[in-house]
Amino acid sequence: MKLIITDLENFNIPIEGEYKIISPKGSIHHCIGCFGCWVKTPGKCVIHDGYENTGIDMGKCSELILVSKCYYGSLSPFVKMVQDRAISYIHPDFVIRKGEMHHKRRYQNVISLSAHFYGEAITETEKETAREILEANADNYDGKVKAVHFYKCAEELEGITL
Amino acid sequence: MRIAFINGSPKVKNSASGALLEDLKGYFSETNEILDLGFHTTDVSETVKAELSTADAWIFAFPLYVDGIPGHLLSCLAQLEEENVHHSKRQVYGIVNCGFYEGIQAKHALRILQNWCTKTNNPWGGGIGIGGGGGLAMMPKLEPGQGPKAPIDKALSMLAEKIEQQEIQENCYVSVALPRFAYKLGAQMGWRQMIKANGKKASNLADRPE
Repeated sequence: MKLIITDLENFNIPIEGEYKIISPKGSIHHCIGCFGCWVKTPGKCVIHDGYENTGIDMGKCSELILVSKCYYGSLSPFVKMVQDRAISYIHPDFVIRKGEMHHKRRYQNVISLSAHFYGEAITETEKETAREILEANADNYDGKVKAVHFYKCAEELEGITL
Repeated sequence: MRIAFINGSPKVKNSASGALLEDLKGYFSETNEILDLGFHTTDVSETVKAELSTADAWIFAFPLYVDGIPGHLLSCLAQLEEENVHHSKRQVYGIVNCGFYEGIQAKHALRILQNWCTKTNNPWGGGIGIGGGGGLAMMPKLEPGQGPKAPIDKALSMLAEKIEQQEIQENCYVSVALPRFAYKLGAQMGWRQMIKANGKKASNLADRPE
């Protein structure tokens, strides 16, 4: 299953195969740093606003595709808030991976991670930041990076297939 | 000098970011005025924007969230960008704490803040990435330079000096003065205590809900 997290409200990019889309539908609450998703309802966020199951969805996906406006080399606030709310995908315990401390796996699926960033005047430095963060995300999820793409505007995404 | 301390933790109280800013405060002389501000939600109030505009330096302190800046803080930064709040002589500094042992894992978050500075024409003054931030808010208050926080105290002291002199520093990365295995063990014992306090077993930490 492909899991797509996007800030585009009218998402109409063709997708091959089975998929689920998480897009802005109602307001999202930001992560409050309570760790309830690890120690109260392990695997699931404790904030009930319709975005609490992303960690579970990530455990079922083979590909995680982020489609987001680029903010300073980062995901947009919406996509980042969804991502922040999904740390339950991983286990709170630590492991040493590539010489650094990361979280242990909760699930066995190996996520293939892609990002499609759009936005006017994304600088080379921002692109480099975005690429490095996706690599860091893959290390933390114990997954792999498939691709990172940049577009000058959201309309340019209409020509692609996910 | 008016220095804005911007706590970017979602927690209003008992955050590692707040504890670090409190420690940093101790390194400034009384001739400076510290403005304690909080970016705890997705919005920046008009009052806070007005206070920010009066400051000579901005110090952001926040936790590392999934290798980057927490989503709510990104939202605040985007609002400040829209407000066009730049000042060519106001240095912006960053302090990022992460739950991992290695402070270097905060480098991407500092880079995002630096990229924001470039976009908004605010001079970037540099920052600190702090590893082992998980226990900072709960650590006992010791004399600066003593105990597990000693390397952090040193980094904060150096940063304070740079801020007062309105100088730039290279990003620096530090960790708590504990062996990595001891930090890992302590953190994992903490998760087990917390889940048991919620009426569950340690084995529930690995639950896979449907």
